Amino acid sequence: MEYSILLQELKNKFENSILSVDETADIFTITIAVEAVKEMITFLKEQHNFIFLTDLCGIHYPEEDKELGVIYHLHNLVANKRIRLKTFVTKENPQVESLVSVFSGANWMERETFDFYGIDFVGHPNLIRILNVEYMDYYPMRKEYPLEDATRSDKDDRFFGR
Amino acid sequence: MKTINSEHHLDLTKEDEKVYSTLNLGPTHPATHGIFQNVLTMNGETIVSAEQTIGYIHRAFEKIAERRPYYQITTLTDRLNYCSSPLNNIGWHLAVEKLLGVETNKRIDYMRIIVMELARISDHLICNSVIGVDSGALTGFVYLFEEREKIYEIYEELCGARLTTNLGVVGGFDRDFSPIAIQKIRDLMNGLPKVLHEFENLLMRNRIFMDRTINVGAISADRALNYGFSGPCLRAAGVDYDVRVQEPYSSYNDFDFIVPIGQNGDTYDRFCVRQTELWESIKLVTNALDNLPEGKFNTEVPAFFMPPKEDVYSKMEPLISHFKMVMGEIDVPAKEIYKAVEGANGELGFYVVADGGRAPYRLHFRRPGFIYYQAFPEMITGASLSDAILTMSSMNVIAGELDA
Repeated sequence: MEYSILLQELKNKFENSILSVDETADIFTITIAVEAVKEMITFLKEQHNFIFLTDLCGIHYPEEDKELGVIYHLHNLVANKRIRLKTFVTKENPQVESLVSVFSGANWMERETFDFYGIDFVGHPNLIRILNVEYMDYYPMRKEYPLEDATRSDKDDRFFGR
Repeated sequence: MKTINSEHHLDLTKEDEKVYSTLNLGPTHPATHGIFQNVLTMNGETIVSAEQTIGYIHRAFEKIAERRPYYQITTLTDRLNYCSSPLNNIGWHLAVEKLLGVETNKRIDYMRIIVMELARISDHLICNSVIGVDSGALTGFVYLFEEREKIYEIYEELCGARLTTNLGVVGGFDRDFSPIAIQKIRDLMNGLPKVLHEFENLLMRNRIFMDRTINVGAISADRALNYGFSGPCLRAAGVDYDVRVQEPYSSYNDFDFIVPIGQNGDTYDRFCVRQTELWESIKLVTNALDNLPEGKFNTEVPAFFMPPKEDVYSKMEPLISHFKMVMGEIDVPAKEIYKAVEGANGELGFYVVADGGRAPYRLHFRRPGFIYYQAFPEMITGASLSDAILTMSSMNVIAGELDA
């Protein structure tokens, strides 16, 4: 299976949804429109043997128009090919279709992405926080929450057992 | 003598009047082997449904990593799967090397294979002996713990630490294997087969152990793939996916080893797959040690190479590069990579997005345990509580990796 053939097939089927292609990256990378996520991944799984969802995670680019991203890594175990899909959404409408009906393993990965980036996976059966406490009211991995300043001096070390 | 009222007896079996009991397994329970909770709905001794709660030891590694220089992230990877820290350390170093485009020599590769396989041995020893403990055989655990102790002594000899090893640096190792370390590895490789045979005699064909583990917590290959299983748990279900073979890293393709697979994906198969992998790892360590090439133990990666201390004290250039490295003023190419290694319990992946700054823009750990542990309720529904505990220990779920 060659990526060029795969790309041509994807272009035929989802011509308006492919926003950009990066062939120089370590893994063949396609940026796609958010509407096509589930359909394209189902297509890749069923027609092109990408049966293994390696990874699903979020990312935040505060300078972009569409700030929040979801990154999928799929793996075709037979041909040993990986593919990376990216999709971006705005902070106001962070809706991405859930993949739980395609990959059961996406369940917790989507919950983790929701927990840290606040991406709303539409159709997820149980979209609640997974690693953080339930009453947390912000999404800590977004870039507007910087880590504590390492040079601050107003903390008394005695209170921290140091 | 009281007789059973047949009418009343019938009432009890009516489905709508049945009251299920809730059982909290964890978060601090000896059988969970880590800090995570399972809320089980029980019908007598049978599990009707289960729900996991995780995150008790979440330490925000991915957030912390966004401010740390690359070489300081090694210590975070220690604390993922802490039963095989050196594997995580070297996995991270390989990921950074992929980002920088660094090639290492054969000596470094072979040294890494030795360390990684030792880590795999210690992880599998723990997991398999704990399966024994949970089925009621404490003896094997005590025997194997002595061997794990020897592996930890080797770590100590290699890097000075035992559990959170922080072993090696980007580009290789910070020091060569000492003669004592090599002697300790040789001694272990000579002694371990006898102990393993003893352990296998104790459990592998033991009627009680087989009855307790065969067809317990089984999962089909199809479901396992759908859940994103990897490592021994996936191979036990019959899928021969091993990152060491599929995408060879660190010269694994120089070696001849078997990837064992199971058939039923049950607890017994997982046990046997790990047991066979132990033998393969012993072969790998011995082979790598026998064929250890001559060469340097470190690649001089600019800005990651720690110069020898005596040069730092006496020469200008080493002092500058030492300072730059320690302060983390490091230039890396702005690109993104995904690097996977075969961890002790599955595909351990590092997704790094670098923007050229001193710290990664985004770092995501693909933690195998986090991904396959979500199949646990499906695997234990309908089973008894004691089977659920065995299933959990055979999945090798490590809390540190689960919560990141």
